[in-house]
Amino acid sequence: MFEARLLRSSILKKVLEAIKDLLTQATFDCDDSGIQLQAMDNSHVSLVSLTLRADGFDKYRCDRNISMGMNLASMSKILKCAGDKDTVTMKAQDNADTVTFVFESPNQEKVSDYEMKLMNLDLEHLGIPETEYSCTIRLPSAEFARICRDLSQFGESMVISCTKEGVKFSASGDIGSANIKLAQTASVDKEEEAVVIEMDEPVTLTFACQYLNYFTKATSLSPQVQLSMSADVPLVVEYRIQDIGHIRYYLAPKIEEEDS
Amino acid sequence: MGILGLSKLIADIAPQAIKEMEIKNYFGRKIAIDASMSLYQFLIAVRSEGAQLTSVDGETTSHLMGTFYRTIRLVENGIKPVYVFDGKPPELKAHQLNKRAERREEAEKELQKATESGDQAQIEKFNRRLVKVTKQHGEEARELLKLMGIPVVEAPCEAEAQCAALVKAGKIYATATEDMDALTFGATVLLRHLTFSEARKMPVQEFHLNSVLEGLGLQQQEFIDLCILLGCDYCGSIRGIGPKRAIELIKQHRSLEEILKNIDTNKYQPPEEWDYKNARRLFLEPEVTDPKDIEMKWTDPDEEGLVKFLCGDKQFNEERVRNGAKKLMKARTGSTQGRLDGFFKISTTPNPKRKAEEEKKNANKKVKSGRGRKPK
Repeated sequence: MFEARLLRSSILKKVLEAIKDLLTQATFDCDDSGIQLQAMDNSHVSLVSLTLRADGFDKYRCDRNISMGMNLASMSKILKCAGDKDTVTMKAQDNADTVTFVFESPNQEKVSDYEMKLMNLDLEHLGIPETEYSCTIRLPSAEFARICRDLSQFGESMVISCTKEGVKFSASGDIGSANIKLAQTASVDKEEEAVVIEMDEPVTLTFACQYLNYFTKATSLSPQVQLSMSADVPLVVEYRIQDIGHIRYYLAPKIEEEDS
Repeated sequence: MGILGLSKLIADIAPQAIKEMEIKNYFGRKIAIDASMSLYQFLIAVRSEGAQLTSVDGETTSHLMGTFYRTIRLVENGIKPVYVFDGKPPELKAHQLNKRAERREEAEKELQKATESGDQAQIEKFNRRLVKVTKQHGEEARELLKLMGIPVVEAPCEAEAQCAALVKAGKIYATATEDMDALTFGATVLLRHLTFSEARKMPVQEFHLNSVLEGLGLQQQEFIDLCILLGCDYCGSIRGIGPKRAIELIKQHRSLEEILKNIDTNKYQPPEEWDYKNARRLFLEPEVTDPKDIEMKWTDPDEEGLVKFLCGDKQFNEERVRNGAKKLMKARTGSTQGRLDGFFKISTTPNPKRKAEEEKKNANKKVKSGRGRKPK
């Protein structure tokens, strides 16, 4: 028996919004420590890694480890049926081929349940090596979303370069070029508005804007976002979800052609 | 024309071996294309008002039109195509080729009949049946590809076999063809529908040989025997044995020799002087150029050369040709998107539950179309 209950359905709704454009289907791996999801997009350019810890749920029970393959478009449709203030409960029997979502309104007057068929997916697991990153940049998530949106008007790819002076995002294309520089904030009243840069070595990498724009769908989950970069390895974009876990996106950089 | 009914058999028994992909997922991949097959496709499909496109003096240009635009489409999606041309047909194929020639003659007669009676639909039908890729078509396509900066590989014998050898050697990612015998030749990844027109919105089907073998429960040698039993280009097959019976027999007896010993040869008559041993050898050790000796180089397109070759007599629109050349050029500049596969280690385990179900299904000897992994 698996049962997980969240007082605010909005968290789960937002999580789905943050992954459904990138993935069409994914496996939710549940054990007594919580729910994990790890999946690559079809072209194997990016990876989503989601962790929701058991202690972040209002009620969590998982007697036997289960892996539930879900069609994310269907799941998203179901979650759209929940009100933001509703309580959501996910339930499944051991070895079940369906999962049930129960939504309860705050005053308990309305209770709805939706059953969804599970998919038999191959379990794909990626071993992500522990990496020390040369640069980590923390910035307001809305700022990052804005930068990605603005720069994607100029070109398909965006160069992120991190130096002592700060971090520079740039793009160029047919209409011209664009550069956005952010310096570390000297003093801020609110922690969530800060730009914090930790750098051991300068790094410059190129990424596809399209994927970064998919990642910024997670903006509403967290006021801050953290970018981690090292030369020639995938970028990590991490959004912490308050009190319950995080969502991390990995993106393979663009590489210069060797010879062709 | 490949292996009779193999793709359907795989779809029924080992559906997880087929993945449906979008063309854009193949960016950065090197892919070998069976040239004669795609030329044939273009001759059939690239038409206007039912007739092939022609130059001023009536020479067909459909194959050039197809090669030019579809190749550009691949390149625009970041794919690096290599065209592999057939060499001399193997001796074993002579019989098959004779049969085809006979069929052409028949079609020709039918066409005459239809022309006399003025039946448009029939005329078109038999016209298409008469389509043949000639030497000249091949030569022109080679010249065009050279101008486009796309490498061409000359196979000593069957192009399929050469493609398969290139994939096996890891020189390229996959072979793109509609003929399933690429798998029989041992190509690890086969793509179908890659060169289809965009308008048809057909997803690319990706077949992985190892999952095919795993799904069918066969070794490569047994798989080759299965293909011979289904019907290949190089020898006849036993009458009265369809795909279902074929896979059952192979699973039970594991080789054609054993099957012949065990079946009632009066009921199921093998062809006279059945040369399955040579056909099998042809699949196992086809005549190919060692992939190590093959160099593939993608170069800049020759815009002026393309205009000179395609416009004028061949009646291509100059502006569109120049645009095409620019697209080819653009795809060569800039950086390519990396993949995570190179950074992280992927381990795929088939869903344990599904496996259990399948085992149960196989035990009951009931073969139903697979569940899960259905196209959306």
